[in-house]
Amino acid sequence: MKIVRTGDQFLFELGRREQQWLVDLLNRYPCVSPARHHLHRSTRLPDSSQRLLDEALAQQRATTKKQVQEWLSDSRRFEQIETGCRVVLSGSEVEWLLQVLNDIRVGSWILLGAPEENLERALLNKKTASHFLAMEMAGHFEMQMLEALK
Amino acid sequence: MVETVQPEVRPEITGETEEKSKSRLEPGYLVICWNDPVNLMAYVTHVFQRVFGWPKQKAEFHMLQVHELGKSILTRESMEKAEHYVHQLQRYSLHATMEPDA
Repeated sequence: MKIVRTGDQFLFELGRREQQWLVDLLNRYPCVSPARHHLHRSTRLPDSSQRLLDEALAQQRATTKKQVQEWLSDSRRFEQIETGCRVVLSGSEVEWLLQVLNDIRVGSWILLGAPEENLERALLNKKTASHFLAMEMAGHFEMQMLEALK
Repeated sequence: MVETVQPEVRPEITGETEEKSKSRLEPGYLVICWNDPVNLMAYVTHVFQRVFGWPKQKAEFHMLQVHELGKSILTRESMEKAEHYVHQLQRYSLHATMEPDA
């Protein structure tokens, strides 16, 4: 995977396998359960505040899910080249994609059993392998994009 | 001889000063980010920069606090603003909460 920044735009060059991984990953969105997000840990705050947060997050997830499907179904999205494909994204699209990928990374980590750092492999088995792979791949794409944003 | 007492001149209270005093008296809320072993350090730094508009150095300082101490108090705000920031951080899938400032 190669990302070149040209002014406000980002040019992604993906290999064929990377393109398939990216599509498979994005089709997993959303991964994080809404129940994970709490406004507070221990102190009681008005229930209305938590309700507002839940509503806002639910709306955002629904909108993002629709955007992801539209993004993937755009036939001009992946321009085929000899080595794979090319994708051109604006800065705000990169930001949006980062949020989506991190939802997938965090959600896959939770499905894996929310292991502590470097203990992921201990929970690796046939059932959890796809979550492990999704978490690692989402992290791989995120790192590449964060490097390009520097 | 009786001295004339000069009228005491008190500093004028401007709108801005009133507002500052008011916000000091209002209950404040701390926006806290908790450690999640899954979030990439570069990602957390990036999110702090985006959400709070912080320079990289400040964002990295708070990211390291989260990483090493398990949490970092990011800011103290009114309830409305704190809710806004928590919502923004959760949009990025960071583990953020708000607590009243005792």
